[in-house]
Amino acid sequence: MKTIKKSHLAEWLNTVAQGYDLFGPALDGVVQFKRVESSDQLVFDYANSVVPPKNLFLPQTECLFAFRREGGSIILEPSGGLERERVLFGIRPCDARSLLLLDKVFNGDLEDTYYQEKRRGTTLVGLACPSPPQRTCFCTSMGIDPLSPEGVDILLTDLGDRYLVEVTTEKGEELVEGLFLPSAEGEKPKGEKGKSLEGIEEKISSLWEDEYWRELSRRCLGCGICTYLCPTCRCFDLTDVGSTLGGKRFRCWDSCMFADFTRMASGVNPRPTGKERVRQRYFDKFSYFPEQYGVLGCVGCGRCSQYCPVGIDIRTIINEVMARGAK
Amino acid sequence: MSSNIYLPHLATITDIEAQTPDTTMFRVILEDSTLAQSFTYQPGQFAELSIFGVGECPISIASTPTRKGFLEFCVRAVGQVTNALHELDVGRKIGVRGPYGNSFPLPELEGRNLLFIGGGIGLAPLRSLINYALDNRDHYGEVELVYGARSPQDLVFKDELNSWDEQEGVTVYLTVDRGDERWRGPVGFVPSFLREIAPSPQEKVAFTCGPPIMIKLVIEALEEMGFPPHRIVTTLEMKMKCGVGKCGRCNIGSNYVCRDGPVFTLEQLKALPGGLEL
Repeated sequence: MKTIKKSHLAEWLNTVAQGYDLFGPALDGVVQFKRVESSDQLVFDYANSVVPPKNLFLPQTECLFAFRREGGSIILEPSGGLERERVLFGIRPCDARSLLLLDKVFNGDLEDTYYQEKRRGTTLVGLACPSPPQRTCFCTSMGIDPLSPEGVDILLTDLGDRYLVEVTTEKGEELVEGLFLPSAEGEKPKGEKGKSLEGIEEKISSLWEDEYWRELSRRCLGCGICTYLCPTCRCFDLTDVGSTLGGKRFRCWDSCMFADFTRMASGVNPRPTGKERVRQRYFDKFSYFPEQYGVLGCVGCGRCSQYCPVGIDIRTIINEVMARGAK
Repeated sequence: MSSNIYLPHLATITDIEAQTPDTTMFRVILEDSTLAQSFTYQPGQFAELSIFGVGECPISIASTPTRKGFLEFCVRAVGQVTNALHELDVGRKIGVRGPYGNSFPLPELEGRNLLFIGGGIGLAPLRSLINYALDNRDHYGEVELVYGARSPQDLVFKDELNSWDEQEGVTVYLTVDRGDERWRGPVGFVPSFLREIAPSPQEKVAFTCGPPIMIKLVIEALEEMGFPPHRIVTTLEMKMKCGVGKCGRCNIGSNYVCRDGPVFTLEQLKALPGGLEL
């Protein structure tokens, strides 16, 4: 397999940045994927970004269309797509899987053009994970190999002074064309085999009435950080800004942890307490998502456990579910 | 259908008819005249209505697809969008996205007797199927409607209630929670009124929509009367935003009410976690 010297990576990325909008891990308060002008702005000593890359495809706030009254009518102007093709550098295999999961939601019979345009116009250059992993990582339990090129167009694996370059798609080929010396070969390190969480879908389903969700909800502040930092959480709100004379309709991230998420205008709220809301989140990951799309809805990135202000750890919840749940 | 699922069609309000002090029937015609004629839907489906600058909300389609060219929505002024809609006059434009959701199980209703049980504005989605059945009269047997509201002035579609009752093979039973000086009809809650009428479950499918507590008690009554769960049909209300199964808030178990519902049989609800808690 082809390799690239680490000392040459910056040069390659700078070339890429001339033809594409380059996004990569950068420090803006915390490590997150930002548009960069050159590779100097990128950071490399990160286990994973604090903010997952989902905001490049499902922005935290996004204008869907503008509206304005003109005479007796109303003019609607949908937002335009990407101005330039993008390259997203440095996403980890867990986040690459998360985009495959979001694809299932936003493609399908009613396609979400806003999401799809961004996906189609973005080439993904993944970075295989460092070993040992971060304290909160558990992707292997979710069936993900931290060295897998699944979901990316190119995967780089750290071989010390070089990166191994795995190109898996035509989009990826375009990006590396003519860049590598054929002599510099390398061998891929062995990936990790996932531990089995067999039957988690059935086990969690058997715990619908379990007191555990109430116990858990007593600690939960309902702050929603677990959902905002979750690479597969995709709940959103649609809201108008402006007046009836003119304005914009926005899509904004929302969270099933918020008390008013399901409260209707009548005042009826089908998820009135923390118990129902906490239960919703874990049922969605381990029961509903698998039922709808045939795959677990969690990628084991560990962000929710790492940044929960009261230390709720999804791995503890998974272990409890596996121990308490009936087959 | 626009390929952008979030971009509404424009529609003009052509008729406004007050139903109760807080509920109004709006008739709208899609601005694109080709679309206005080709736009089709099934009884039980809903649309997302936009008041640009205020927002969007899901409202069931109260008209029947057998009467083409317009859409009707019976709306109670209860939230921001529905209150803003009530401020609008004939001629004003709104946005319409849809139709969304599943529909009443039409093929399974062929040749059956139909029993409708509605409470308050819950009659709106049922009205679509009632008029659909009456426009295809030969395909259905006896039609019964048990309908109640808080007070006589809260009954919706009053003119139609009379005209339906006058049709052969159609019986309308009305009740109110509390009467007034002019009310001569029965007084009492819908579920207990239904038990008094005790309709036979023979070859009959029951449809109910109304406040959650009414639906719950009506379902209990229907089961006691011998209606099997697959012939008890309800249509549910849930907080929705996108209407197309993406925004993630209206699910009951793994079913999105906007996409997999809003119409569910009791048999389906029994199989969903929390399906009977509504």
